[in-house]
Amino acid sequence: MKRLNGRMLTVLSFGMAALFLVSIAIAGQAYAGSALETDFSRKNLAPCAQYLFGTDWLGRDMLVRTLTGLSMSIRIGLLAAGVSSALAFILGALAATMGKAVDSFITWCIDLVMGIPHILLLILISYALGRGFKGVVTGVALTHWTALARVIRGEVLQLKEAPYIKAAQKLGMGRLLIVWKHMVPHLFPQFLVGLIMMFPHAILHEASITFLGFGLPPEQPAIGIILSESMKHLAMGRWWLAVFPGLLLVLTVVLFDMAGESLRKLLAPGSAHR
Amino acid sequence: MRKRLSGLVFTALMIASALAGCGNNSVPKAGEPEAAAQREAEKTELKKDVSSGTKDSVIVAMGTTSEPESGFDPAYGWGAGEHVHEPLIQSTLTVTTADLNIDYDLATDVRVSGDGMTWTVTIRDDVRFTDGELLTAEDVAFTYNTVKENSSVNDFTMLKEAAAVDAGTIEFRMERPYSIWPYTMAIVGIVPEHAYGPDYGENPIGSGRYIMKQWDKGQQIIFEANPDYYGETPKMKKVTVVFMDEDAAFAAALAGQVDLAYTAASYSDQKIEGYELLAFETVDNRGFNLPAAPASLDEDGNAAGNDFTSDVRVRRAINTGLDREEMIANVLNGYGTPAYSVCDKMPWYNEKAQVKYDPEGAAALLDEAGWLAGADGIREKDGIRAELNLLYPASDSVRQALAADTKNQLRELGIDVTIEGVGWDTAYTRAQAEPLMWGWGAHTPMELYNIYHTAGESAEYSPYANAAVDQYMDDALAATSLEESCDLWQKAQWDGTTGITQEGDIPWIWLVNIDHLYWSRVNLKVADQKLHPHGHGWSIVNNVDQWSWE
Repeated sequence: MKRLNGRMLTVLSFGMAALFLVSIAIAGQAYAGSALETDFSRKNLAPCAQYLFGTDWLGRDMLVRTLTGLSMSIRIGLLAAGVSSALAFILGALAATMGKAVDSFITWCIDLVMGIPHILLLILISYALGRGFKGVVTGVALTHWTALARVIRGEVLQLKEAPYIKAAQKLGMGRLLIVWKHMVPHLFPQFLVGLIMMFPHAILHEASITFLGFGLPPEQPAIGIILSESMKHLAMGRWWLAVFPGLLLVLTVVLFDMAGESLRKLLAPGSAHR
Repeated sequence: MRKRLSGLVFTALMIASALAGCGNNSVPKAGEPEAAAQREAEKTELKKDVSSGTKDSVIVAMGTTSEPESGFDPAYGWGAGEHVHEPLIQSTLTVTTADLNIDYDLATDVRVSGDGMTWTVTIRDDVRFTDGELLTAEDVAFTYNTVKENSSVNDFTMLKEAAAVDAGTIEFRMERPYSIWPYTMAIVGIVPEHAYGPDYGENPIGSGRYIMKQWDKGQQIIFEANPDYYGETPKMKKVTVVFMDEDAAFAAALAGQVDLAYTAASYSDQKIEGYELLAFETVDNRGFNLPAAPASLDEDGNAAGNDFTSDVRVRRAINTGLDREEMIANVLNGYGTPAYSVCDKMPWYNEKAQVKYDPEGAAALLDEAGWLAGADGIREKDGIRAELNLLYPASDSVRQALAADTKNQLRELGIDVTIEGVGWDTAYTRAQAEPLMWGWGAHTPMELYNIYHTAGESAEYSPYANAAVDQYMDDALAATSLEESCDLWQKAQWDGTTGITQEGDIPWIWLVNIDHLYWSRVNLKVADQKLHPHGHGWSIVNNVDQWSWE
């Protein structure tokens, strides 16, 4: 058999990661109803053939609960990262093209948001919006755009000096039109990679603020809730409540990271043809 | 990639070591060898003391929420308020007995005028504060006028003023008759007028059984017996109260660091060597409200009332359709008693509140009321689905479990229940339209008044109004003796034709009284407890002065 070259391996790992994540998302949604189900006749069971991840103190099937929790995390991550990176793109591009006043205002905003500890701002926003799905998504979206916005801004500043942009300017194209026609296609790879790299961040933050009690309500299957509940039961020897959900969370985050990394390799001109 | 893999392996190792750490509490954590050594020393000392039978100190672990935020000032919640207990440091005029009747502490005589507007109390003349000053009627009057002015936790609007008639007699002049005043007198610790100031909470001086010696905020409070106490000399000379979360308290008991540790039903199947599990019956009840008015909007635009639960037959069906014993077995591992009212086993409890579990009867009642099962098994009437969104405080796992069990049981009746955890910031408002899993239970009938009596047009915590019930409670407060008032409190619950029980309006469903559980060293003898009220905290040490070691 012919050895796979680097590019094919990268495509393969990207595909595998994406497939795995999509199947978690779908499986979780499919079981969303039974993840809320409590049955006191089967409470506190250790992992067995019927309940692979065991059950908790309310007799909930931890496998179903973990999958649904992760799929919710993925959805939150998708939405929050999507909104956040769109925000980053728009602000980054505006900062670099709309003149000094706009630039300094947006840079000031970036510094402001970056200056406050992430998690604090996140808790504040989520709490102000009444917690829940909406609070978490808005919180994550509004706190994560800064780094990507900086990258985009830097990139655009560089692009502005490029000969083909200068040429377009001399030909009398409007500033926004130049951004749209000539800059966006160039920025797209960075943007996409930035977006995917934001996923794991968003998921971990969702888990952490829910863990701290400022996110989703405790009957919801969310990974942060599962982990914070499991803390109370560790002393009683119910290790399975923390271990499997924790490992799956780590796996999901690592896979997202891997997918982002492979995509970067595929898209970046320096490594695309290796 | 390799870097990331090694990172993963590292993380896994960290988790594994953290887990190992949890399982073995005797391993001292790195960085605190001194503390561990000290603990070891204390443990040996403890063993010595116990074996020689001379030990007269006890370490009690309570929940972190039991630490009094504003210190030991009765005006700001010490002993009073939501979680009632004896104030230990201060004396009170009266005390509640084991069967929740009234006895005297400082008082030697309590008299009320015929119109109920003046209470005259005479007090002992041999009581000194721990700074040596005599406790006089002036101090008592000062205390009551202060709490009336400042109390952040109790309602003292029925009191007009307290005045010292002479050194040993106090007169309470009332705004309106208040027959259960002796129960209020049982929760107000008497403070010294000469030593009271804004920092009293942190430096309390009283005349009670114990002196507060040391308070390390967030950690522990140390009490020492008052050597000049006028009553029986406390057997326990030193009481240390430490504040811990449930799992930390369990771990502390496992490690032998505490003598008595509070715990929850979810831990009750565990075993700790050298400890036994003590369960105390309580009136610490859990139940939910059913808004007894049709859906509408209140003046602030918030939803109030509920179209489904405004039907009294629905409320009755829910009350008899719930299997309380099963709930106790499922959620409380058997450590609880069924609750039928907010005041089970209290002198003012009306036994007519008790109902039998009757699922067929409940279903028949719903059928009769026109709530018929639809295609999905959920009942409907005039296009309204039989559904409830049952709220519970998000931080309380027992209430979450009770809500989940209620959901499962009501599903059998054809009622679709969803549950939702909420914070207390929104819970009160939302409970006006949706049921909320509450916890109540106090050593005063005033709780009946707070829950069922109208405040304005409707009761405060859940929409409900019944003029007859209101009248009985008003009469009870105006009664001239406690016996007479108890009779009226009972009539407010059910008088033969109307009330708040099953045959009446049943605007609240009571589920269980939660036993208060403690890990106790086998040779620690905890004195008999009176029924604990709501709040799994200070009640246990009400009589710590009578505890002993065997």
